[in-house]
Amino acid sequence: MKFNTLLKKLMNKGDGSKDIAKQRLKFALLTDKLEIKTDTLGNLQRDLVEVISKYFEIDKESIQIDIKRSEESSALIFNTPIIAAHRQQGIPMA
Amino acid sequence: MDGKVIVVTSGKGGVGKTTITASLGAALAMQGKRVAIVDMDIGLRNLDVVMGLENRIVFNIVDIIKGNCKIKQAAIKDRRIDNLYLIPASQSDDKNAIKPENMIWLTNKLRKEFDVTLLDCPAGIEQGFKNSIAAADEAVVVCTPEVSAVRDADRIIGLLYAQSITPKLIVNRIIPKMVENGDMLSHEDVVEVLAIDLIGLIEMDDLVVVATNTGTPLILREDSKAGKALQRIAMRLNGRPDLPIENPMIKKPFWKKLGSKFSRKN
Repeated sequence: MKFNTLLKKLMNKGDGSKDIAKQRLKFALLTDKLEIKTDTLGNLQRDLVEVISKYFEIDKESIQIDIKRSEESSALIFNTPIIAAHRQQGIPMA
Repeated sequence: MDGKVIVVTSGKGGVGKTTITASLGAALAMQGKRVAIVDMDIGLRNLDVVMGLENRIVFNIVDIIKGNCKIKQAAIKDRRIDNLYLIPASQSDDKNAIKPENMIWLTNKLRKEFDVTLLDCPAGIEQGFKNSIAAADEAVVVCTPEVSAVRDADRIIGLLYAQSITPKLIVNRIIPKMVENGDMLSHEDVVEVLAIDLIGLIEMDDLVVVATNTGTPLILREDSKAGKALQRIAMRLNGRPDLPIENPMIKKPFWKKLGSKFSRKN
């Protein structure tokens, strides 16, 4: 029995299931951290609209907000058509 | 000086939190500290049976919070180990019977009476967990070398950091033979993935089941490897943080040890 395990170890070194476990675990932890709460994007969109509306007139209906993920990075994409820029209110101080 | 409050938590259930809490409490008490252990699992109490004190419950933590009794009336004194007390959970109440501010109030009272208060946190990240971490100064995260336990531990560690608590890790139920064969995550793997400091390694030990069966403190058993490891963890919590952590990997016979020394490649 002892000899067998020794032999097995010599034959297929580092072939145990723990390497798979570690790989899967690392990937799971990574994607867990990128997961966004369902209402987060909605809240973000509302706040962004509020801020942008101070400076531009935008079409609130055609706004798109999305998160794009690739293996190395993730990006927040915010897309909105501008209808007009608001006139500067008041004369800027000299 | 006020005592400290340490939460023992894991995220995943069934990784050994309750056994570890009971044993650390017993070990700390035997090292001369006054210790209170609080079962935070309202509705599913278990610490009482693990400690063998289930027949002596009169009042529980919810009674204290509601003002039905004094802390002294609810705290059960362990007759085998001096200076060890259990505050049991309620079995009939809802887990929402306690709020974080209640726990802060209770632990502030306990700090005056006890050197160490250990909170046995329930599994999950719901009310019981929130109550437990709201009152804690320090945290010990327990995980086993399994994918699911490590993942949950990672989540818990994140939530503890958000509370400005830097937890320490116990890797429990290590099976050296499986680690050696590459079929179980080693503690190095777990530490690498979770990126936190270790406070102890505990080998799989059949005597844990035996001790739980009889409700006797594991650390009173001289022959228990897990008990020994837990005593050393208690020492690390008790002002000796640099006490070396023993690696439970198989203790090989001499000739094999010699052989592996020559064949090691890393």
